[in-house]
Amino acid sequence: MAQAQRSLAPEDVELLARLAPAAPTAYHRLNPLTKATAAAGVTLAAIVLGGYVVPVALLIGVVLPSAAAAGVLRRVARLSLAASAPILVSVVLVSVFTRAGTTVLFEIGPFDATLEGVDFAARITLRLVVVAMALVLFGLTTDPRSLVADLERRGVAPRLTFAIAAALEAVPAMVERTRAVAAAQRARGLDTEGSVGARLRGIRPLAGPVVLSAFAEVEERSLALEARGFGRPGHREPLWTPTDSPGQRAARWFVVAGVAAALAAVLVAQAAGVLAGLP
Amino acid sequence: MRSPVVVRGLVAALAALATAVVGVIAAGAFDPVPAPNGVPPGSNLLMLVLAIALVVGFVAYAAVEWAQTRRLDSIARQFSTRTIVLMALAIPLNIVLGQTVASALKLPVYLDSIGTILVGVLAGPIAGAATGILSNIAWTFVLAGTPFGSPFAWPFAIVAAEIGFVAGLFGYAGVFRSRPNTPLPRLVAGIGLAVVLLGALAWWGVLPFYQDLCEPGRGPRQLCFELLSPTVAADPVFLTLAALAIGLVGLGLVAGVMRLVRNRDLGVIVTLAAGVICGIVSAFIAAPIAALVFGGVTGSGTDLLVALFQQAGSDLQQAVLQQSLISDPIDKAITYLLVFTLLGAVSRRQAARFPQGERALGTDGP
Repeated sequence: MAQAQRSLAPEDVELLARLAPAAPTAYHRLNPLTKATAAAGVTLAAIVLGGYVVPVALLIGVVLPSAAAAGVLRRVARLSLAASAPILVSVVLVSVFTRAGTTVLFEIGPFDATLEGVDFAARITLRLVVVAMALVLFGLTTDPRSLVADLERRGVAPRLTFAIAAALEAVPAMVERTRAVAAAQRARGLDTEGSVGARLRGIRPLAGPVVLSAFAEVEERSLALEARGFGRPGHREPLWTPTDSPGQRAARWFVVAGVAAALAAVLVAQAAGVLAGLP
Repeated sequence: MRSPVVVRGLVAALAALATAVVGVIAAGAFDPVPAPNGVPPGSNLLMLVLAIALVVGFVAYAAVEWAQTRRLDSIARQFSTRTIVLMALAIPLNIVLGQTVASALKLPVYLDSIGTILVGVLAGPIAGAATGILSNIAWTFVLAGTPFGSPFAWPFAIVAAEIGFVAGLFGYAGVFRSRPNTPLPRLVAGIGLAVVLLGALAWWGVLPFYQDLCEPGRGPRQLCFELLSPTVAADPVFLTLAALAIGLVGLGLVAGVMRLVRNRDLGVIVTLAAGVICGIVSAFIAAPIAALVFGGVTGSGTDLLVALFQQAGSDLQQAVLQQSLISDPIDKAITYLLVFTLLGAVSRRQAARFPQGERALGTDGP
């Protein structure tokens, strides 16, 4: 890569430099696979090990310091709480009031709030908050293009990485198109407030044009890609890839081994009857 | 020297088998005390264990391929450019339609597997499964920091893979073909067959899981068909409300189906039956995941059903399964019907360019 750069014109060098996404902090500059492994490891550990101690330890020891180091702590907190608010409200209401338990705290009508329900709701809430924060942290510090470029460098088929990258770019356009279709159909008299039957009949006028226009787009895109050599086999040299280091590689394997060991330990403990069964 | 593909296949099969054995033991299938509802213990987890075993086998295959060739090519090489582009557009369909249609129409349908089903039907089971997995993983990991992302979609990648795979199999079998102007005797026979098939499935495969809601000695197969029988702990009013809600959605579904059956299209009945079957299988795989990872809730309106079933005395796993066995078949049946009507409008020339398009949709059409 450096050798190629020596023979490039300065404008091309500048273009290549622009391909690298913005990386304001050292955490941003970590390899995307490292950040993904960290997020996945925290998520799996919080779920497999459960309880109170592990999620809190992960939150205070791993997620919050990483978010602070990357300078996105407030955004992570705000986005993860916004994303998990509906499910957290549900968990609390369903578990506190309807979960079977013996110690009743108070009653509202036919529903009684039990201590076991509060305990369960607290554990699930803690777990979901940790999971949401870890994943939002990953999303805010990793440019999807750099993740895709890294996967491609490691040998994932370029066709699959293209599918992921193209899917990401198509989402905002499809949201706009769906809004436009909904507005147009309402102008033509689509009933979105009426009876259940009327609303069920409304699914097709809303979803139909979006899906059919996606089909037309498949035609055009395939032809354009084939014309640009998408299907041809052989090696592809990426213009830019994220860097990696042996230390990060070791850290990744350590996390993978740790989570696998935790899962094995939990399964063995359940089989031996030491741990309670599945909730 | 064995061919590298054979080695990969053997390792994958062994890994899947080992996972299945471990999973079945962990699910308690060999528990000496039988469950009171007569269903073998741990059977509600069996589908999930099988699905996980298949995914582990697939991961083992990929790991061995990586070790052999330092690349992960063999899966993607089977997909044509058109299939890849369809996958790339089906993933946003899953994400966008799932959110916008449900909120615009305020209905408890999700439509978040419509893209997966489309790819499965047109491009085959493997492409459908790949779309399902990529869709859920991308929804979480690639879109995580954006307003469209969801940190809670990744555990259901297994369910999405199963939905895509099953849709591919149904497409291969020609389920989604339009069969207009079927002669009346054949139409009646088809409806009868579908009722018998789904009835048998409900009788032996679904109703036993509602046993614990009824008084001991009266199974669901005898008297608890409509959830209105007196139960041990819950107020019948709430159960009545739940039954009414289910009935309303069911009526709306039937009304929609009747309109299509006016064309005497047997394909509607076949698609509907296939959708219900897909929904039941998905319910068995998704319910334990929701119970284990999320405490049984998803943040949507169906959590009310979970609350009602828990209040009526079911434990968490049972309550989530009971809710899923109601809402998932309805949702998948609606999605399958929608896919059926939409594919009926796609030109046969366009559809035939996909690997399974001609087989799935036949050659008569626009």
